[in-house]
Amino acid sequence: MLNKLRFLSTIILVGISGILGSTVGFASDPPPADEVGASVSIRMYQVEGILPADDPNSPQWASVPESEFNLAPQVHWPERIQEVTVKTVKVKGLHDGQNLAILLEYEDPTDDVKDAAAIEFMVGDKKAHFAHGQPMLQVEGGPVNIWFWKKENGKALDMSAKGFKTLSTQEKQDVSATGAWADGSWKVVFTRALKTEDEEDVQIEPGDWRSVAFAFWDGALVSGVPKEKGSQKAVSSWWSIRAEPSADNSIYGWVIFGLALAAAFELVVVRKLRKGQSA
Amino acid sequence: MKGPIASGAILLVGVFVFIKYLLPLVTAPLPASLIYLYMTLAFSGIMLYGTMSASSLESLMGPVFRFLSGEGQSGTGKMARLAVLVLFPLLVGWQTYTSLAPSDLPPGENRTIHPAPPGEFVGLANPYQNNEANINMGKGLYAAYCSPCHGANYDGKGPAAKGFNPPPANFADPGTIAQLQESYLFWRIKKGGVGLPVEAMPWKSAMPRWEVELPDEFIWKIIMGEYDGAHQSPRTWEEDD
Repeated sequence: MLNKLRFLSTIILVGISGILGSTVGFASDPPPADEVGASVSIRMYQVEGILPADDPNSPQWASVPESEFNLAPQVHWPERIQEVTVKTVKVKGLHDGQNLAILLEYEDPTDDVKDAAAIEFMVGDKKAHFAHGQPMLQVEGGPVNIWFWKKENGKALDMSAKGFKTLSTQEKQDVSATGAWADGSWKVVFTRALKTEDEEDVQIEPGDWRSVAFAFWDGALVSGVPKEKGSQKAVSSWWSIRAEPSADNSIYGWVIFGLALAAAFELVVVRKLRKGQSA
Repeated sequence: MKGPIASGAILLVGVFVFIKYLLPLVTAPLPASLIYLYMTLAFSGIMLYGTMSASSLESLMGPVFRFLSGEGQSGTGKMARLAVLVLFPLLVGWQTYTSLAPSDLPPGENRTIHPAPPGEFVGLANPYQNNEANINMGKGLYAAYCSPCHGANYDGKGPAAKGFNPPPANFADPGTIAQLQESYLFWRIKKGGVGLPVEAMPWKSAMPRWEVELPDEFIWKIIMGEYDGAHQSPRTWEEDD
């Protein structure tokens, strides 16, 4: 009887610790107070049917949850700028398993010929500095892929860089973009295939995280010169982006397995107890 | 309920209240994982104590076993037992779901904020005299080159600060330059974000590599201005050794 009790108390102890562990141990700590409200990642939701890839005003975008990122004047290298027009950007993403569409929405009071927007990605496994993949002193960095939209020609350029003054237009152009300005804000939608044959391009594998950053230029003319151009721009640091993986129904299999395992555990315990008590 | 189960439960609640709510009054709040560890230790201790002898084992576990076996139960006892037996598998199922469901949180990154400096920057002394003229010159240079991010009040809240991740250092915080030597600041300003080692994630830092634009003299004087303006003093070898 005593041995049986010992055995049972051990398995109950282990069981309760397991439950406590999974509830308390995996609960993550809340983020520091000053980070609350700011996004850290973008989820490109998977859709069935047609992507609103060339229409920033498509009603399809309205229901997509957005991420929002603060922007800063580019101060990392000269020519610096101290004050920029675009302070934050709202980002939405969709994909259909083949192609992706990323919508950037930001406030800019005027529609100017020299307005521009860009998305930057790390390419490959090596970390790249967010300032055009410029060389780091103790870490071997990788290249970046930049998607650069200009209001001037209404097109996007697919570009690469690995350090200052290395920004170049790729031979193979895989990106397109469409911008629309209304009521003091730009909506620019970029689109590309999730995966390309070009090794200079970022490859988006649904489910995998990639690093992404943004840049914006307010081309409003001040004494005949664009207010922001070249390195004088609004920038973000690196954030994370991921194309949503296809729905994984195996999760429900594991949930049922867990339920069954717990029920079986209970059954064994109760049967043992009943035997012990009638013995 | 009375007896060892009630005492054990009261003890557990007491331990939890102590580490979760009372300890943070005197020190930093404990992370959830550490609270879990302490609670497991307390729970194991209570179980060990309660199972030391046959009689203590019976008084601790007996009521639990009789409750679970369900023999001779009626009314609320029966309902409570049924509820426990149904809720336990549901809890397991829910835990399985939440731990497997896709999350929008990218994988965590452990960034070292103050990594070890390269050898050639260890123990360098500021070659400029700590006098008012030098401090004032440093403060002027700080205002021109550093304050857009690190703030006119040395608090890391300059007009450009909000967009950067990681945020610019807050020199008024006793956890930053007050913990560091002048030589360390000299390294960080001279080489900038790109000079950081891998554990400090140089690819994220917007800190310029100032050696490209400023002479060493300016950097040493900026350091003086920074400490004076932030009302901090550098850590020195004398205090350390």
